[in-house]
Amino acid sequence: MRFTSRPAAAVIGVTLAATALTGCTEEAVGTSGPTEAAAACDPADVKLVGQVRNESNPYEAAWLDGGDAFAEQVGLTQERLTYDGDSTRQQEQISQLLAGDTDCLVMNVLPNGDSDTPPIVEGAEGAGAYLVTQWNKPADLNVADYQYWLSHITYDGVASGKQIGDALAEAIGGSGGIIALQGILDTGAAKDRFAGLEESLAANTGVELLDDQTANFSRAEALEVTKTLLSKHGDDVKGIWAANDDMALGALEALQQAGRTDVAVVGIDAVPDALTAIEDGAMTATVSSDGPWQGGIGLAIGYCVATGELAVEDIAAEDRAWFAEQFLITADNVADFTSPETDPADFECANVFNRSQGAIS
Amino acid sequence: MAPPADAEVVTSRRPRARRGVSLRDTGPSIALVVVFAVFAALSPGFRTLSNVQNIMDAAAVLAVVTCGVTFVLMMGSIDLSTPGIMGASAITVALLVANNRNDNDLGMLGVAVAVLLAAALGCLSGLALVALKVPSFMTTLGVSAVGLGVATLLFAGVQPNITDEMLEGWAVERTLGLSHLTWIAVACVLVGWSVQRWTRLGRYAYAIGGAEEVLGLSGVKVAPFKVGVFTMAGAFYGLAGVMVTSQLGAGLVQAGKGYDFSAITAAVVGGTLLSGGRGGVLHSAVGVLLVTVLTNGLVQVGVSPYWQGGVQGLIVVAAVAAAVIPQRRRNQVTK
Repeated sequence: MRFTSRPAAAVIGVTLAATALTGCTEEAVGTSGPTEAAAACDPADVKLVGQVRNESNPYEAAWLDGGDAFAEQVGLTQERLTYDGDSTRQQEQISQLLAGDTDCLVMNVLPNGDSDTPPIVEGAEGAGAYLVTQWNKPADLNVADYQYWLSHITYDGVASGKQIGDALAEAIGGSGGIIALQGILDTGAAKDRFAGLEESLAANTGVELLDDQTANFSRAEALEVTKTLLSKHGDDVKGIWAANDDMALGALEALQQAGRTDVAVVGIDAVPDALTAIEDGAMTATVSSDGPWQGGIGLAIGYCVATGELAVEDIAAEDRAWFAEQFLITADNVADFTSPETDPADFECANVFNRSQGAIS
Repeated sequence: MAPPADAEVVTSRRPRARRGVSLRDTGPSIALVVVFAVFAALSPGFRTLSNVQNIMDAAAVLAVVTCGVTFVLMMGSIDLSTPGIMGASAITVALLVANNRNDNDLGMLGVAVAVLLAAALGCLSGLALVALKVPSFMTTLGVSAVGLGVATLLFAGVQPNITDEMLEGWAVERTLGLSHLTWIAVACVLVGWSVQRWTRLGRYAYAIGGAEEVLGLSGVKVAPFKVGVFTMAGAFYGLAGVMVTSQLGAGLVQAGKGYDFSAITAAVVGGTLLSGGRGGVLHSAVGVLLVTVLTNGLVQVGVSPYWQGGVQGLIVVAAVAAAVIPQRRRNQVTK
């Protein structure tokens, strides 16, 4: 019985698979362009999906909250997806999404790394789902070559590295030794931010870089590395430049354990603890990419195109892949950032590209 | 053939009561002394008293984790649950002592609850191993995911920062030049060594790694001891999670990130075999110091961060190779 039914099952299975495949192809051929499909999307039918690495990271949790805020603004809910920094899981989640109903699907995705972006883009393009990506993209992948990949948003790491470098130089009075804590060395963010510090050092000739080490964007590693560097350079250290706030907070902890209160510390990301530290005067500056806005803006762009308020053809070439504005936070303006909220006006279709600082070169 | 076989029986009974340190166990210690001497010669900053304190402080958490993992390795099992268990215990303790998220102020009781939770997670690994016959590689990986899940749930999007003076003091206050965390680590190594040396749990852990079948045939039920070892290992990871929280002043879900492999590396560098039945807590402690001295020394000497990972790996391999040469001849090195 089992043996006789097996070939039959195989034949049926293959037939089903073939039918399904044919269905897909026909659908893809039938939908000639997003503008046609866009007109068909009732705002209530739009499905919003936000995907980040994990919710145990305050920045990415805030990102998803921003997505929720936008969804609420247009009377929808956002599906929150997290993949724990696991590339394979990210791809699985995306393929599951794309296997469902993709007619009015809008995805705002943080790809795990540069190499994770192409398969996501190809999948969305094939299924006709509106996609906005942020942070990671291979340099040679051109957004304008795609119909459904609407936009890629990132931040100029060189600029942020320089901003905090300058703030640090000012805090130590323009002269003295500093140490730098780099991020994961083979990431674009770490390279760009350190290049920004080097620009800042070239401009502030009184500041001397005593040592640079990596702490892999980790608070615990930054604690150990900073302790070691403090015992190596002692009182020569006047400032600590960290490529993200987690490392800056680890460095603060090391300074506290060493009983040092005379060292200025700067970081990037504007995580809540760093903002508190700036309020308390323990930390000098950080840079914010505005996580809640990022979570909302990707969905907003997709929603505007899906509902036909914005046509892909009308998006300017420099708005397909662009640097968004970032904010230097110091004691003077920290109060504006401690309880981040999204501004509904930012997400109106006419304003979605307002924060552009220019195309990614 | 009979007389040599006879002689072998006599010698194989002796090592169980071995009290001195035999030649084949001194490899890692010699490597530690050599590496320390080389760095001290190369860098004036390395040989200062404050840097030696620094190395001891930096080794504390890894030493406690390695105490736990050593027992598991001695049994011939492997334990990858460290990141999850440490994360769960770190968040738990941060939420139970005085913090910025709630009004709890349980002090030492909070620490105890966190360690107990960690022990329970370790127990879960052990139970899955013996009851469901799932290899330790898989059970501990699963328990790690469970621990991270618990931690993420408790984290709930807001970082718990501790304000508990006792717990913060562990990392800052010093007795005889060493931070309290370092003394806790020293105590853990002594406790671990005592368990290994004088209790049935420790002796059987060795025996399970050496010849589990023989132990079973002689009427010992090994299952409870396996569960016991995983539970104790979990408790050590839990304490390590508390120590990380004390150092960072905050409960992090990622508190244990990377400690699984660092601890296994340290244990193996110290001479504990992955195949089980050899090594021990004191070996592992030497391994921890060796790994920590390397990390610290490369920074002190000023090796470029771009080179450090590679250089560190090479020195570790060289140190292990040097350490196992006496064992290689006896064909006791794991393949």
